[in-house]
Amino acid sequence: MHVPCGRCGPRPFTEFAFGGEWREIDAPDAESDFARVYLPENPEGPQRERWFHAMGCRTWTTVTRDTRTNEIG
Amino acid sequence: MAELQPASPSVVVVLASIEACDRVSEEAGATAMRVAPRELMLVGDVEAAAVRRALAEPDAIIEDVSDGWAAFELLGDDAGEAFARVCELELPAEGWVQGEVARAAAKVLVEPGRITILVPAMLGTHVEERIRADAAEVLTP
Amino acid sequence: MAFEPGDSLASALYREGVRTFSRSLKYHRRRGLYCGTGDCPNCLMTVDGLPAVHACTTPCRDGMRVERRGGWPNAERDLLHATDSLHRLMPVGFYYKTFIKPGFAWPVAERVIRRVTGLGSLPATTAAERAIVRHEHVDTLVIGAGIAGLEAARKAAAGTGSVLVCDEGRVGRGVAPGPFLDRLRELESGVRAFEAVMVLEAFTALGVYEGLHVPLAGDGELVHVHPSQVIVATGATEAHGVFPGNDLPGVMLGRAAAALAGAHGVRPGRRAVVVVRTEEGLQHLRTLRGAGVEIVAVAAPAALVDRLPDIGAGEVVVDGEVHEARGGRSLRSVVLRRDGRAKRFDCDLLVLSLGLSPRDGLARMALPGEAVTVVGDAAALPEPGICGHGGTVCLCEDVSMHDLSQAWDEGFRNAEILKRYTTTTMGPCQGAMCGRALSCFVASRMGDAAEVAPQNAEVRAPRTTARPPARAVTLETLAAGVHEIVDKRTSLHELHVDAGARLDRSGGWLRPFTYGDWREEYRAVRERVSLMDVGTLGKFTLAGAGVNELVDRVFPCRTDDLAPGRTRYVLSLDEAGYVMDDGLLARVGEREWYLTSTSGGAGRTDARLRHFIDRLGLDAHVLDRTAQWGAINVAGPYARDLLDRLTDDPIDAEALPYPGFADVAVAGVACRAIRSGFVGELAFELHHPRSGGPELWRALAETGREWDLCPHGLDALELLRLEKGHIYLGQDTMPDDTPAKLGMAWAVDTSKPWFVGKLALERMAALPLARRHVGLGIEGGPSETAELRGEPLMVAGDIVGRITSAERSATLGRAIGLGWIRSSGDGFPDRLMTGSGAIATVVPTPFYDPEGGRTRG
Repeated sequence: MHVPCGRCGPRPFTEFAFGGEWREIDAPDAESDFARVYLPENPEGPQRERWFHAMGCRTWTTVTRDTRTNEIG
Repeated sequence: MAELQPASPSVVVVLASIEACDRVSEEAGATAMRVAPRELMLVGDVEAAAVRRALAEPDAIIEDVSDGWAAFELLGDDAGEAFARVCELELPAEGWVQGEVARAAAKVLVEPGRITILVPAMLGTHVEERIRADAAEVLTP
Repeated sequence: MAFEPGDSLASALYREGVRTFSRSLKYHRRRGLYCGTGDCPNCLMTVDGLPAVHACTTPCRDGMRVERRGGWPNAERDLLHATDSLHRLMPVGFYYKTFIKPGFAWPVAERVIRRVTGLGSLPATTAAERAIVRHEHVDTLVIGAGIAGLEAARKAAAGTGSVLVCDEGRVGRGVAPGPFLDRLRELESGVRAFEAVMVLEAFTALGVYEGLHVPLAGDGELVHVHPSQVIVATGATEAHGVFPGNDLPGVMLGRAAAALAGAHGVRPGRRAVVVVRTEEGLQHLRTLRGAGVEIVAVAAPAALVDRLPDIGAGEVVVDGEVHEARGGRSLRSVVLRRDGRAKRFDCDLLVLSLGLSPRDGLARMALPGEAVTVVGDAAALPEPGICGHGGTVCLCEDVSMHDLSQAWDEGFRNAEILKRYTTTTMGPCQGAMCGRALSCFVASRMGDAAEVAPQNAEVRAPRTTARPPARAVTLETLAAGVHEIVDKRTSLHELHVDAGARLDRSGGWLRPFTYGDWREEYRAVRERVSLMDVGTLGKFTLAGAGVNELVDRVFPCRTDDLAPGRTRYVLSLDEAGYVMDDGLLARVGEREWYLTSTSGGAGRTDARLRHFIDRLGLDAHVLDRTAQWGAINVAGPYARDLLDRLTDDPIDAEALPYPGFADVAVAGVACRAIRSGFVGELAFELHHPRSGGPELWRALAETGREWDLCPHGLDALELLRLEKGHIYLGQDTMPDDTPAKLGMAWAVDTSKPWFVGKLALERMAALPLARRHVGLGIEGGPSETAELRGEPLMVAGDIVGRITSAERSATLGRAIGLGWIRSSGDGFPDRLMTGSGAIATVVPTPFYDPEGGRTRG
């Protein structure tokens, strides 16, 4: 599978570290913070997620990947 | 055939604003690799102090980090062939790329007849061994 | 055994009179040549020690050693053939239902079954040689160098762009001399004339992966091709015929018979019944006639009857079907049927040219939308084989029509489930022969009883998923270019080697564990002075207009009160409040910080900092100095005395207090000297440019002789830090450890408005503490305290915890350890029993120098 790095273009996923499903950086209180950390959408379908180009530019990219087909974009 | 030999280029890193990186990039005599929007790597004949003076951005980090990189040159007609044994990436005829070479995060500079590979210093021995092993057929011993 | 030039192993063996080429997997039925094109499993043999080699596609070479697989004592006289008569006792899927009781039955049975089945044994003595790997980037990849493939290659080459053509064998392999071969050779020379074309012969395409990426496996070589487009021209096999007796030696497909007769001059049989349904079949019939085979009968559709060649006295059965093939060791007669009437013909050869079965496995692996086209016979419509009422469906896995029916009756009613239950299509041919027969079977059972043509069958009962590898491949080939073991080395590596250190892997680095006697090294640290290579630590310079905010937000402790020159121990928490890493934070300037992390956590620390800079929108920079700088820890009561000899800069307790650091020059090398407390003695961690490392180490070691200095490694470090109660992340901690569980609540300032993990800690603070990490004093137990590590901690026979580190301390005169314990409703126990009967008492840490005076000196 290739991940499109924002700077370097499509690269084999082995060049990346997976950063999980995209989530808000913060929450208004402890209760909703629990949901933020432990209850991601985990959709069967397009998922917004973070990838870190560890072997290349070492920047973070956000992509939308279909969890059924691994199609990105 | 191709030859693999170690190299020790000067490497200066510039961590600064986007505009500052743009400016230094244009003026640099050495090869300027825009690794990230706010990160520039200058390889070759360059002095950190001079860049720092030119930039005059107090919160920027501008340093000679030559120590942090192990470098190798692949020379000769089969340089590209040897490289293709340890790296999946397609190289341009001239220019640079950054990506994985033998499980190391590498910067690769391409000039006619020479491919320069820079990897973090602690992986130098590993990468050299892997290139010599995997490209043994096309390298002069 | 002798062979003729141009022979394949199959033709040479056949000429010698061999008719049984192997024994089937489960029932040890005799198997003879069948497809002749390397698609079916019947001719798989062990060649020169390598198992599972197709005899029909392997050219003979002087000195080749060939063994038949299967059969005991040998394939010719196989006593295990008795299992075939026990067929009824072993219905499909029987291994899921038997050997459940008594419990010992399966392990015994398994050993026997392993010995009597399988495709051969691996050569035990051959050393595996790594295959070469390389990557090729081309515009067009053509898989298959037959007529269609070469035509496609020529067309692609005529445009701009690079072309790679590959084929499993040599171009023209197995093609009998004639106009077809001539055309092939003509195309081949035309294609090879182009400079932008590369032809790879004897390279098998293993699969079509997303990207596009097609790995080609050759002899000792793996080529990863990255094409912009793929043209699949893998042709077609002849369709498989399923009817009772279809796997008898003597039943073969048209191409196999024609290759033997035409290309190798070997008569495949004396008296033949031939089924002809295609153009190709007519040609095969002519070839057989030309080789002197007596044609006893021909079954052909009405449309082809007028074009049949002269078959002498043979009978033509118009629209005839094969009802059954009969024989014992080999074929003896065939029953043809037509309009409800049957007739038996005595023969020793049955040739089937039933139609094309496109080899579309590779094409079916491609994702929709990818640039993969199929040309030639691989794109043809599949033609009906024979989907009869009995016979062997899956030759590889020995699955009969009877087995499929039984499975259907048991309730397995679609192709995917049937495949998994019966293992049909799961053998070396991967459904090339039987895939369509399976679909046909399912379609015929789904609803109406009418026979279903394969084209329609696949719509109603789709083929099972095609997956790589398309053909068998050795592990050595797959391992080509895989470099999962990556060793990092500090600049002092050679010095350690020269000093005779035992080096081993730790956290991705090669590190010295001991230089000879770790207890000696330990004493040097406690009593004199010692050096340790800690260059593996993660090291980062943080700067920028917004760096103070970054530091304040990513660490749970207060940071704004840290003055330049001072350091603080910091924890890194993840968003769930769990401890991910630890290290030292140093204030260098108004907006400059220096951070260290654990050796294994350096990459993660860098990624994490960049993540928060990005998401919090901060103007901050991270310079990863892990590679650029090394570090040497100078530790022991005489550490300062040693350093004084090598530096003119002030390093007394006032100029360089604990905790703190100073930038000084030692032995001419610029260092950041950081006061360290990890081992519990006066210690200075000298962070320095990597290239200055060896010089610095040598100077320290040389000057240190005055105090009988010796370096220490990870073995000594284990006890040194244990005596101070310092945890090793990963060894003493678990992924869900919070600062509170580790007894490190002091490293968190909950009054800070925001830091990563704060809300999670708040939420967990309201819950009772479920687990605690504690220090242990241990009495009794095994003599080797290293064995205590990992032992359970128990109260009244119930396991309530575990020992994570343990060692006998000569300094303290007893065994000590670290571990974790669970609360039991009313608090935490403080006296526990270990698994081996030792008594562990919870005691406060540090064990050694609890006041820390030795560190603070």
